[in-house]
Amino acid sequence: MPDIDVLVVGAGPAGSVAAAEARRAGPDLRVVLVERDRAVGAPVRCAEGVGDAGLREFADPTGAPWVARKITKVIFWAPDGTEVKVAERDVGWILDRTRFDAFLAAGAVAEGAEAWVGTEVTGMRRDGEWWMVDTRGARGPETLRARVVIGADGVETMVGRWAGLDTRVPARDMESCAQYVVQGIDFDPDAIYLQFGDQVAPGGYAWVFPKGVGVANVGLGIVALKADGRSARRYLDDWIAARYPHGAKTGYTVGGVIVHTTVRETCADGALIAGDAAHMVNPLSGGGIVNAMKAGRLAGRTAAEAIREKNTSAARLSAYHTAWMKLLGDDHLKYYRIKQALEDLDDSFFNGLARTVNAIPTPKRTLGRIFAHALVRHPQLIPVAARFFL
Amino acid sequence: MRSVRPAEIAVVDLALCDRCGLCLPLCPPEAIHLALADLVVDDDSCTGCRKCVAPCPVGALSMVPNRAAA
Repeated sequence: MPDIDVLVVGAGPAGSVAAAEARRAGPDLRVVLVERDRAVGAPVRCAEGVGDAGLREFADPTGAPWVARKITKVIFWAPDGTEVKVAERDVGWILDRTRFDAFLAAGAVAEGAEAWVGTEVTGMRRDGEWWMVDTRGARGPETLRARVVIGADGVETMVGRWAGLDTRVPARDMESCAQYVVQGIDFDPDAIYLQFGDQVAPGGYAWVFPKGVGVANVGLGIVALKADGRSARRYLDDWIAARYPHGAKTGYTVGGVIVHTTVRETCADGALIAGDAAHMVNPLSGGGIVNAMKAGRLAGRTAAEAIREKNTSAARLSAYHTAWMKLLGDDHLKYYRIKQALEDLDDSFFNGLARTVNAIPTPKRTLGRIFAHALVRHPQLIPVAARFFL
Repeated sequence: MRSVRPAEIAVVDLALCDRCGLCLPLCPPEAIHLALADLVVDDDSCTGCRKCVAPCPVGALSMVPNRAAA
């Protein structure tokens, strides 16, 4: 029976970084990264936007083949269509996730991890100090023995369930998302666009993320509880019909984004969960790529250290949870409170806010100045700001 | 064993389902899972709460009469 020290389930950003880091922290360990799909990075279930500073902790985007577009501007559309430009530089990047995920997985292999694509984990059970893990793939059904399993298996995480962790989420904190790749449309390819409004995307927002000149990821997320009965896909079809009636939809994806706080327990005996599986997405922005990589790094390192110390108990592995909460998890509690406060504000508030911001000259539109002006002109925001400090 | 069975339970239309997995964490009794990449609703665990139906981005989940309810 093949014995594995660290088995990482899911070769997205969390899993690949976890596998690489586990080998870096434990060069003598056998680390295996399994991916259910036949190709790492496909299908893409992502708007592919990532912030500049966070990305650079892991890879240099300059001239990289896994970058689709550099972004230097953010443009908000208020519910009534008022356009608000926020002047910033080096905002971020739109990735080519298929290539980016493959790049990260190759990084794990370069560190000495094994990557098995087309291999699905179908169940796992505890046997003493080991996890007995059933897999199915190109090599046929096989049972592996692993000291530590890292579940980086996305919103649908089964590893979390099998390990006895509660990864359920209330419906109000689930964004139902749909996205098309749309070609032949007119927009500023250096900008990302975000539209808010109850008619367009109740409980979420719609986005245009450029992948090149005239081609973009056009999508939206909604909270179904606030919707009028239409599915996310129907909302998106209606929005695109109104905004880009002549665009060619050449690709399509859907998925869930959990805009909650980190699950209470991310560790069990011999098991950790990271990334979307552990609800580590920023609950305000819905961004999760960099968070997943940061969590993967902590998870991989903790797993390797715990194995070296011959103690893979939940108590030992919980150093990972503590480190994550200190790094980002505690901030997410604040962001989540702000999200809840913003939910009480309606479209007319955001229309008014857009006009307030537009009264500030563009070069002076720093986020700090926008916030200060907004607080003075829109007292409804005061409870929102107050929640940040609670 | 459950003594009272719900009148309706959720069912997935695999022709519409995109296997995105969004509905899994929404299910309170964890009655939905992915098996060999296909979504499966466990009839015996589903409580008929409907929490998975509206959030499905493609409308692949719906409620059907539960044959086990009598």
